[in-house]
Amino acid sequence: MAKKILLKIDNVSYRYADAEKDDYVLKDISFDFECGKVYAIKGKSGSGKTTLLSLISGLEKDYEGSITFNGKELRKIDLDLYRSRDIGIVFQSYNLLPHMSAMENIILSMDISKVKVPDKKKRAIELMESVGLDETQKDRRVLKLSGGEQQRVAIARSLSYNPEMLLADEPTGNLDKETENEILKIFKDLAKKENKCVVIVTHSENVCKQADVIYELKKKKAK
Amino acid sequence: MYILKNALVSIWRNKGRNLLIGIIILVIACSSSVTLAINNSSNSLIESYKNKYEVLATLGVNRENMMGEFDPNNKDNSREDMMNKFSSASKISIEDIEKYADSKYVKSYYYTISTGVNAEDLEAASASSSSEGNDRGFPGGGRGGMGGGMNFTNATSGDFTIKGYSSIEAMNEFIDGRYKISSGEVSEDFDSMDCIINSELATLNEMSVGDTITIIDAEDDSKTYELTVTGIFEEANEDSNTMSMFSDSVNTIITNSNVLAKMMTANSDLVVSTSPTFVLTSDEVVDNFSSELTEKGLSENLMVETNLDQVEGATKTISNVKNFAVTFLVITLIIGTVVLLVINMINIRERKYEIGVLRTIGMKKMAVSMQFLSELIIVAFVFLLLGAGIGSIISVPVSNSLLENEITSSQEEMSNIQGNFGKGNMGERPDSGQENRGNKMPGNLDKFNGVTTVQVFDSINAVVDFKVLGELLALGMLITVISGISTMVSIQRFSPLTILKERS
Repeated sequence: MAKKILLKIDNVSYRYADAEKDDYVLKDISFDFECGKVYAIKGKSGSGKTTLLSLISGLEKDYEGSITFNGKELRKIDLDLYRSRDIGIVFQSYNLLPHMSAMENIILSMDISKVKVPDKKKRAIELMESVGLDETQKDRRVLKLSGGEQQRVAIARSLSYNPEMLLADEPTGNLDKETENEILKIFKDLAKKENKCVVIVTHSENVCKQADVIYELKKKKAK
Repeated sequence: MYILKNALVSIWRNKGRNLLIGIIILVIACSSSVTLAINNSSNSLIESYKNKYEVLATLGVNRENMMGEFDPNNKDNSREDMMNKFSSASKISIEDIEKYADSKYVKSYYYTISTGVNAEDLEAASASSSSEGNDRGFPGGGRGGMGGGMNFTNATSGDFTIKGYSSIEAMNEFIDGRYKISSGEVSEDFDSMDCIINSELATLNEMSVGDTITIIDAEDDSKTYELTVTGIFEEANEDSNTMSMFSDSVNTIITNSNVLAKMMTANSDLVVSTSPTFVLTSDEVVDNFSSELTEKGLSENLMVETNLDQVEGATKTISNVKNFAVTFLVITLIIGTVVLLVINMINIRERKYEIGVLRTIGMKKMAVSMQFLSELIIVAFVFLLLGAGIGSIISVPVSNSLLENEITSSQEEMSNIQGNFGKGNMGERPDSGQENRGNKMPGNLDKFNGVTTVQVFDSINAVVDFKVLGELLALGMLITVISGISTMVSIQRFSPLTILKERS
C-alpha cells in the first residue's frame, strides 16, 4: 500500500530578491516526502540545500511552483502555526535559547504550539530520555551542555508537540562520529517507530547511507 | 500566560541588562518624582498664598471720572472746588459701609475713621512741615502697598488727628510695621476710651502709659472726651518726613472707632474721613461686588480697588519655580525616552538571535513583541516604584528647602506683627473686641488684614503622595511604551531566516 505523501514539492524554483532574473538557487525542483521514511538531501555547498529546507519550513515563501503539506499550499496557511505544530526543525547550530534550561526550551516550544499536554514537565523529561538525556540535565542551562547534548535537546524540543515531519539542517555537522550515529539512530527510530517523516539536509555520506531516500541537489537542478 | 512567564524568566536570567535599563528608569523616576513633588508643593504654596493674602477691596477715588467733570478752563472751577469735590467723595457713613458689607461676596470688613481734634493740656508738635494733616489725610492704608482707600484731606481742622479703628485687622500701620509699640500695648477693648500716642508726642508732653488725655471736638469746644493712654508707639524711620523734626504720626492719637462714633453722635456736623476694607470671598467676585456697590448707590466718583496685583506678585516667584519644575520634568522625560529608546534598540540587536529562534519555532511576531514589551514594562514598573520611594525621600528636603524661606519669612512676619502691637502672643489673648467688628468680622486674631498665620507650612509630611505616584507611574509607563514601540517595530521587521543565517 502506497504511503501518504505528506509534503510535495512541485516544480519549485527560487532566486534571491536581489539576484539577476535567471540566477536561480533552485530550479524546477520536484520531490515527494512520505511518512515513516528518512530522507537525505545532499549536495555541494551553494547547491541550495538549506534554501530548500527554508522553503519547506515556511521561513521563505517567495518561491515559484508549489509546496503542499497535507495537500495544502504553504503560501495559503498560517506559517507560524505550521512551524509550531506540523513540523519540527533541528539546526546544525541547535538554535536553543541560551538563557533557558533544557527543559524550559522544550516546555516553551509546547507553550508556543498550544498543544494540550496534561503535565508538560513530565512530557519534557520523557522526551529528553527518549533522545538519550537523563533527568539530571533537565535544569542545566543549555550552554553548559555539550554539542551532542544540545542537539538532543533540539530534537526533543522539535518533538515536543508531536509533529508529523522533522526537518534537520546538517544536524550532525558539529558532532563527532559516535554522536552522529547516535543522533541518526534517533532519527531512524522516529521514522520507523513513530511514523515520522524525517528530512535531513546534509553533505555527510554517513547520513546518506542511513537514509531511506536520497535527493541530490546540483547547481540549479536536482538529480 | 506563557508570554508573561517567559518574560519573567528572561528578566531574571538577564539581570545585568535589565539592571541597566532599571537604573535609567530609576534616575528618570527619581528626578520626575522630585519635580512632580516640587510642582505639587508649588501649587500648595500658591493656594496657601491665595488664602494668606485674602482678596481685599477698598474704595478709592475714581480720579479719571472726577477729573473729567473738572474743566480747567472754567475760571469758576477753583482748586478749592476740586478739593471739596475730592473731600465730599470721602464721606462714606458707617451705615453705608455696613450696607456695602451686607453682601454674599464679603466675608468680613473693617474700617478706619479719622477727624481733627484739639486737646486740653497737650502740646502739639508745632514744626510747620510736620505732617499732621498728612496723616489725617491717609487713613487706613492697606498692608504692603495696598492702597487702602481714599487719599484726600479731611476738612475738619484741629491740632491733632484722632484715628479710630474698627478692629485689630484694620490697624494696618502696626501690621506692616510702620508703627510699633514701644511701651504698653494696643487695647483690645474696642468699646473702651483707650488710646495710644506717638512716643515723640509723649516725650514732648512728658506722658506715659496710664496717663489721660482730654480731647476737644474741633467744631464744638463744649464736647470733650477723656482717653486713657494704654500704649506709646514709634513710627518707623523710613516713613518719616525728612523735612520735619517730627514723624508723620506725631500728632496722631490712635483709638477705636467707637470713640469716633460717640463723637459723631454728639456732633452730627462732625466731618470725618472713613476708609472701609472689605474681605471678599474670592478673586472671582470682584466685578460682581463692584456692580453690587454701584447698585447700592456708591458714588460714581468712587471705585473698588483690590490687592489682586499684590497677591499675583507674591506668587510670581513660586510660579517660576513651578514652571521650572514642569520644564525640567519635560526635559527629563524627553531625554529619558530617547535614552530608553536607544538602549532598547541596542537590546533588540543583541537579542536578534533569540527573536530568530522564537520566530523559527512558530512564535508569532505579535507574541514576541508582547513578551519583549512585557519585560520592559515589568522592569519599568519595579524601578518606577523604587524611584518613587527614593524620590519621596529626596523630595521632602528639596521641597522643604524651597519652602523654608517662605516659612521663615512668614513666621517672622507674624512675630513682628505681634511685636508691633506690643504683644508676646496675640493668639493667646482673649477675643474681646469682636462685637465691634460687625457680624462678618473675623473672630480669629491670628488673622490680620487678610494675613493668615503660616502654621500649615511647618512641615511637609508626604510630598510624594498617591497623586504624585499615579502621575509618575502614568508618565513612566508612557515613556516605557513609547520606547517599547521601537522594540515592536524592530521585531516586525526581522526575518528569522536572515537572523539565523547571520548567526551561522
